[in-house]
Amino acid sequence: MRVFAAIAYNEVLLNLKRVAPYVVAALCAGNAVLWWGWGPASGRGVAVNSDFFIAGVQAPYSFLFLPLYTALMMADPGIRDFRDGITPLIFSKPITRAEYVLGKFFGNFFVLACCQSAFVVTLFILQWVPKKGVTVVPETKFLAYPKHFLVFVAISHMFLAAVYFTVGTLTRNAKIVYGLGIAFYPIYIGYQKVLLSSLPWRLKLALDPLVMNRALVPNSIRSNDPAWLNQLVIVYDADLILNRVVMTLLTAGCLTILYKLFSSTERSGRTKELTVINLSTAAEGVYYQHSSPVLPVAEFDRLDYINSVRVPEVTRVNEGIAAHLNKLVAAIGVEFRLLRAERSLVVVMPLSIFICLLEVAFYDIHPDVSLSAAYASNTSTSLMIFLIGMAVFYTGEAMHRDREVRIESFLWTTPISNSVLILSKFLSTLLLLFALIAGVGAAAVAIQIVRHHTPIDLVAYLKVYGLILLPSAFILTAISVAGTVFLRTKYAFYVVSIGTAAGLFYLYSNGYNHWLYNPVMYRLWTYADLTGVTRTILLYRLCWLLIAIICLALAHLFFERRSRGKANLPLPFALR
Amino acid sequence: MSTILNVKDLQKTYSGGVQALKGVSLDIPAGMFGLLGPNGAGKTTLMKILATLLEADSGTAQMNGLDLIANKADTRRVLGYLPQDFGLYPTLTAAQMLDYFAKLKGVNNKKERRALVDALLEKVNLYEERNRRLGGFSGGMRQRVGIAQALIGNPKLLIVDEPTSGLDPEERARLHNVLAESAGEDTVILLSTHIVSDVSNLCDRFAVIRRGEIVAATSTGAALKQLEGRIWEATMPREQIAGLEAKGKVISKQMAGVSTRVRMLSENGRPADPFVPVAATLEDYYFTVVNLT
Repeated sequence: MRVFAAIAYNEVLLNLKRVAPYVVAALCAGNAVLWWGWGPASGRGVAVNSDFFIAGVQAPYSFLFLPLYTALMMADPGIRDFRDGITPLIFSKPITRAEYVLGKFFGNFFVLACCQSAFVVTLFILQWVPKKGVTVVPETKFLAYPKHFLVFVAISHMFLAAVYFTVGTLTRNAKIVYGLGIAFYPIYIGYQKVLLSSLPWRLKLALDPLVMNRALVPNSIRSNDPAWLNQLVIVYDADLILNRVVMTLLTAGCLTILYKLFSSTERSGRTKELTVINLSTAAEGVYYQHSSPVLPVAEFDRLDYINSVRVPEVTRVNEGIAAHLNKLVAAIGVEFRLLRAERSLVVVMPLSIFICLLEVAFYDIHPDVSLSAAYASNTSTSLMIFLIGMAVFYTGEAMHRDREVRIESFLWTTPISNSVLILSKFLSTLLLLFALIAGVGAAAVAIQIVRHHTPIDLVAYLKVYGLILLPSAFILTAISVAGTVFLRTKYAFYVVSIGTAAGLFYLYSNGYNHWLYNPVMYRLWTYADLTGVTRTILLYRLCWLLIAIICLALAHLFFERRSRGKANLPLPFALR
Repeated sequence: MSTILNVKDLQKTYSGGVQALKGVSLDIPAGMFGLLGPNGAGKTTLMKILATLLEADSGTAQMNGLDLIANKADTRRVLGYLPQDFGLYPTLTAAQMLDYFAKLKGVNNKKERRALVDALLEKVNLYEERNRRLGGFSGGMRQRVGIAQALIGNPKLLIVDEPTSGLDPEERARLHNVLAESAGEDTVILLSTHIVSDVSNLCDRFAVIRRGEIVAATSTGAALKQLEGRIWEATMPREQIAGLEAKGKVISKQMAGVSTRVRMLSENGRPADPFVPVAATLEDYYFTVVNLT
């Protein structure tokens, strides 16, 4: 028990030094402010400190806002020790697998729950803050906040956290977890539609991890009268308790699977660390001797042969545009090869294609202009979500890979310009996104043929993908490149990106939608806009492409690697 | 011996307040130059500044008229660098990795590049492993890939930071030869290490850095001559060592079973009874400079 506590405590300490938990907590608190001041209760007379409101906001908060953050926080705790090479030091101590795995899980889950609880803590404080249109009941609430948070949020996310932690620890690949995080909504909606919808009502309630299928108050007795709602006390019925028990058992099951399959050994393909440990110091006057190496005769002969190998003189061209382009092409080739080797792509690519095609493959298509136009429009809307996720995560990976692999000092001392380093990562990620768009397009055409929804109008695909998806991919990747340069810490960049994307989608969903803050034109176009006078859409796209180019220029300007003394601009606000 | 690389009054303080370099000045001629110092002395900071990776707070570094600090782009054209701690893309093969670095260093001719990569792989004894992924390489093999990439394009300034770390004796001998061969009339090889024998085997000249300051800069011959006839050695029980400090300067102690082998510096003849005179080594000089000055 003491070892378990020590491991859990150490995880808490490690997280205290990271930026991500603070950012997540701040975003959760900001979310509470939105629900409080501009949420469904605002202006309707429902008190923001009523039991009904406190319990009612937990499930949507948990569903809309938290799954990605849970993935972000729980992806790498089980990988970190292996990555940092600390495992030999840990597993040489008398530690059991259960103590290690559970200590890691609960230490990190405690931090995650603390971050998520910033939501209820903020709501708790806000009950004393007056605002026009916001109603409060006079009786101050204390216990309702932690109680409903524990029941509706903490248990749900304990299960999700266990799944993410198990996948991350067993695969030792955080990117697969991020992929799962990105794919959470399609998976969850698919789970609801395909599996739960066919089950009996009680089972449907019991197996819903985020309790989205259960009404807070039974419709038979429900009233929309604010006075009635403000007096209501939420009680947990048997169905809810059963659901929470099932989720807790599933969490335990998940951790048991992890315990059974967890191995503390090094993976054979793992990159070995170069570590030099010298226990003696000069100050002690004790030093190890390294005499001139003496070799056996056979080795000496081999050495003699190797000495005879001459390294040829080569011509080096480092001046001019052609030399610059050659280096850029070489760097794009390697960057793209490295991106292709990302294991998470094995999950993310097929899943994205599958989800994007769900609607056109299984549901009736209602063509406004043509079937191809409907296919292209439908797939492009779903694809946009994946493009955003992939642009953010794979740009983050590409931009930070050299530092993580510790190859940066090699690359940065070669005679290449910063633009080669930045553009190679930008273009290789863009190439990956284009490959996804092409894959979805090809699959949509194939489905059209299979479903006999002919004739195929390739121009419709070209219009939708060419005007909406391809520029969006370019813009998103460019903004992501600039974001990674400005924020410098990968996880801070991820958290800020997810927060910004969630905030923008919230605005779009509430009718605040304008092309100036909607670079992907989400809900701002119909196929008819692309066929008739396309000049307006083209203009919007060109404006955003210009902004994307400015982003790339800024990334170049603020890039950490210096080329001319101290001429590059400093970045005082970088999170490092 | 004419100076090729001139480092003058380099200073560097990290944001945490650690003063890593306190006005380092060095005149480095062509050939191999050793930089010795204990861990944390400032060797790697100095190497990183010369390799354009770190910004100095003040000071200059000039090589044949090229300002290494102000003109980083030009410096990188003549530079080969092997850092102390590095990684490689685990999914690429050794040949792919070297080919990539050759392209980045401007070797555009495919035929030349292939010949260069093959020769370098032969040179570091990795030719048989050229098509294996780097992720499966041992520490020593990865170190050799690092050395090979540093040699691409005949660099005029080759900076190698702790290059023999993780190498077995055979590979160490091979590296010594590779480095010795790379030294030309207009080439500087800066070898940073805390393994004194690497310097004594390879370098004509060296400097010792301690707590961010150069405490000695000399030739190996001059260093040994300075200690001639002043080094004494004895093997004795541990408890007798305590009293030795009063009789002379203890340079180093090495455990040898139940006894301890002690080397002393004495200006005035035999320091105590069991001590016998021995030939001075570079290690003696190093310990004398680092601990006794």
